Amino acid sequence: MGTSDLDRQIEQLKRCEPLAEAEVKALCLKAMEILVEESNVQRVDAPVTICGDIHGQFYDMKELFKVGGDCPKTNYLFLGDFVDRGFYSVETFLLLLALKVRYPDRITLIRGNHESRQITQVYGFYDECLRKYGSVNVWRYCTEIFDYLSLSALIENKIFSVHGGLSPAITTLDQIRVIDRKQEVPHDGAMCDLLWSDPEDAVDGWGLSPRGAGFLFGGNVVSSFNHSNNIDYICRAHQLVMEGFKWMFNNKIVTVWSAPNYCYRCGNVAAILELDENLNKQFRVFEAAPHESRGVPAKRPAPDYFL
Amino acid sequence: MASGDVQSDESLYPIAVLIDELRNEDVQLRLNSIKKLSTIALALGVERTRSELIPFLTDTIYDEDEVLLALAEQLGTFTQLVGGESYVHVLLPPLESLAQVEETIVRDKAVESLRALAPQHSATDLETYFISTVKRLAQGDWFTSRTSASGLVSVCYSRVSNHVKGELRQLFKSLCQDDTPMVRRAAASKLGEFAKVVEPEYLRQELVPLFTNLANDEQDSVRLLAIEAGIAMAGLFRHEDLEQQMMQTLRAATEDKSWRVRYVVADKLVDLQKAVGPEITKNDLVGAYCSLLKDPEAEVRAAAASKLKDFCNNLPTDTREQIIMSQILPCVKDMVGDMNQHVKSALASVIMGLSPILGKDNTLEHLLPLFLNQLKDDYPEVRLNIISNLECINEVIGVRQLSQSLLPAIVELASDAKWRVRLGIIEYMPLLAGQLGPEFFDEKLSSLCMSWLTDHVFAIREAATNNLKKLVEKFGRDWAQNTVIPKVIQLARDQNYLYRMTCLFAINVLAEPCGQEVTQRMMLPTVITLVSDPVANVRFNVAKTLHRIYPVLDSSVLASHVKPALDKLSQDADHDVQYFASEALEMLPKA
Repeated sequence: MGTSDLDRQIEQLKRCEPLAEAEVKALCLKAMEILVEESNVQRVDAPVTICGDIHGQFYDMKELFKVGGDCPKTNYLFLGDFVDRGFYSVETFLLLLALKVRYPDRITLIRGNHESRQITQVYGFYDECLRKYGSVNVWRYCTEIFDYLSLSALIENKIFSVHGGLSPAITTLDQIRVIDRKQEVPHDGAMCDLLWSDPEDAVDGWGLSPRGAGFLFGGNVVSSFNHSNNIDYICRAHQLVMEGFKWMFNNKIVTVWSAPNYCYRCGNVAAILELDENLNKQFRVFEAAPHESRGVPAKRPAPDYFL
Repeated sequence: MASGDVQSDESLYPIAVLIDELRNEDVQLRLNSIKKLSTIALALGVERTRSELIPFLTDTIYDEDEVLLALAEQLGTFTQLVGGESYVHVLLPPLESLAQVEETIVRDKAVESLRALAPQHSATDLETYFISTVKRLAQGDWFTSRTSASGLVSVCYSRVSNHVKGELRQLFKSLCQDDTPMVRRAAASKLGEFAKVVEPEYLRQELVPLFTNLANDEQDSVRLLAIEAGIAMAGLFRHEDLEQQMMQTLRAATEDKSWRVRYVVADKLVDLQKAVGPEITKNDLVGAYCSLLKDPEAEVRAAAASKLKDFCNNLPTDTREQIIMSQILPCVKDMVGDMNQHVKSALASVIMGLSPILGKDNTLEHLLPLFLNQLKDDYPEVRLNIISNLECINEVIGVRQLSQSLLPAIVELASDAKWRVRLGIIEYMPLLAGQLGPEFFDEKLSSLCMSWLTDHVFAIREAATNNLKKLVEKFGRDWAQNTVIPKVIQLARDQNYLYRMTCLFAINVLAEPCGQEVTQRMMLPTVITLVSDPVANVRFNVAKTLHRIYPVLDSSVLASHVKPALDKLSQDADHDVQYFASEALEMLPKA
């Protein structure tokens, strides 16, 4: 697959037109070669712009790029949960993946709890693939790629980024580095916790999570983790915050949420976090794409050539 | 027609093919052949065109609509090919058939051709051939032929004998009273043009009753065409006759129960105003206009609103200001807060036109608050319409006054928290620049345009660079050198890579309007400095920028400055920098 093919596919995906099944297969194979080389704690250089959950809200992600600048002009780190719930999980994930393959040094994708076979069968991505392609092959290719996505990122050795949060099984970054990540997200253990846990004001130490996976963790857990790993703060996603971003525990951890008007009805704004080359931070808040810039709703029957 | 005869002469072989293709089974081939019908006719000569081709065509009328349409069109220009005006009547039979077919566009085209041919007949031929065609069509069994007849009466009326004129009027009358609404619609739509050729006494005695009937037809589609005809007829009357004969019907139309009829009245009101003159305008139309401005249907209000300027301009000068201030302006004030965006947008496109009519004091006191309101409207189109017409109040109240009143609102929108609102304002800047001129623009708006270059939102920064390009195209290179380029160059030293890249994106679009000398002297050195930027994104955009501005640079500079820079970038540690530098090097023009 040449650069010009990729550039064409990126243009096509930017118009919210899915790729043909054979193209998805080739793209995933190429992505696998790149992702397999990445560490569980992927090193990322500043400047970079950090983005939280997208959840298949394709036109809102386009809005995100209007605010933050296109990739590769701007460097991006996406904290997972690309798929499920929104109408365009296929186009959203494939666009991000195509950008990753075309510009591996300009964009980093890490895994969210929705990048999982089990969860996508319940929350929409599986059904969307079946509806748009008439078979589940594309879902299979994509979920296989999910297993290769890194679990976290470390920006200039100072900012630790992860989808969910911390794990009682992890005190140092090296403990994350030795996890064998190439598997479906397990039901418990360190890998599960990184993707599922939430910070919680009312908790001292560790608490049970109402989500049924991962843990709740308090300010002291964050403080000691940051201190022992010599990092400034943790940047994570995973939880809807109405203002788009939210600091906790005396600026030791921040939640970034990038799906405006989540599920097309929550009424929240979204945010991205721009870090310049000196790690100065600016949150850029944005709203859902206006109605007229969205495509026709995805009620169309699958095109014949997919069947 | 014997195509064998033609084949015997070899030079006519291509023509024989065309003739064969007239009968081909493939529609496309028949169509091609029909479109070259004049070539065939030319080759056959006038004699055989008349005796063979035209009868052949008359017989083959049962074809696809596409072929028929092309045929109907061709025949309208066939006069010379059948031997000139004395033979033009031979074209009537095929057109008469075409004027009866089921497909409307074919019929309309046939009527159009017949109308073009009518004046080419001699007076005798007109009565002998053309009138017979009209009569046959008017008495046809199908509404299709009667519909076509309606369009032919007025083109022959003035050139026939009084006896035939009487027949034609009778014929037209029966078309106006036809059972099928399609025919009444066709007749109503031709009533206006017929009225113009009919003698005044018949106009009053015969056509006015026809108009009154059609304007009260049970079908609104007939009524609205009748109203259009009525407005055309109104111009033919003296004022006292008009009041007596037509006004009652026209007045009633402004209150018709169908909004489509009221819409036509609103849309044609200025024509009506011109036809009826100042007295009736004052007594009747002003009230009617105000009620249309308040119509329950948004389409009617929008049509009425769009006529505001013209209607007011055409009011009698002695009472114009008083009528506008006391009757029309109150309606306009309400309309600024209309629920419907199309109404507000229509109003915004003309409201500024009241300013020259009402003068400076009224503008400041009564109109400015309305403009300000519309300038803050939620719909961008409303705002755009106001901004694009600033020029006309500029002339009345002067640019100083304007800057005190309206520009603050524009500047406020320019820093709106929603980036799409800011984007909207940026897009108006080139327009404003044209209206205000460079000095005034520099004083009030330049700094705003520069500040967008460092906006938080990428889309705004991008729009800001394109805006600068348009401004430079308007104000010229000197302005660019003094006002724009120094600010752009400054961005190259910004702390944030996003703004250093904005510097490059601006140079991308400015190089061309600034030209070679300015680009090489003022901008290229900055681009070259960024070759050693610490951030890879900036470095590969240097490669892209250099690539993009090749056409502006001269070949010695390409060799001495650009190539070394690209050579260095192509050795960069970053993969993307290497890629874009090599791509640029490949396209580098050879010295």
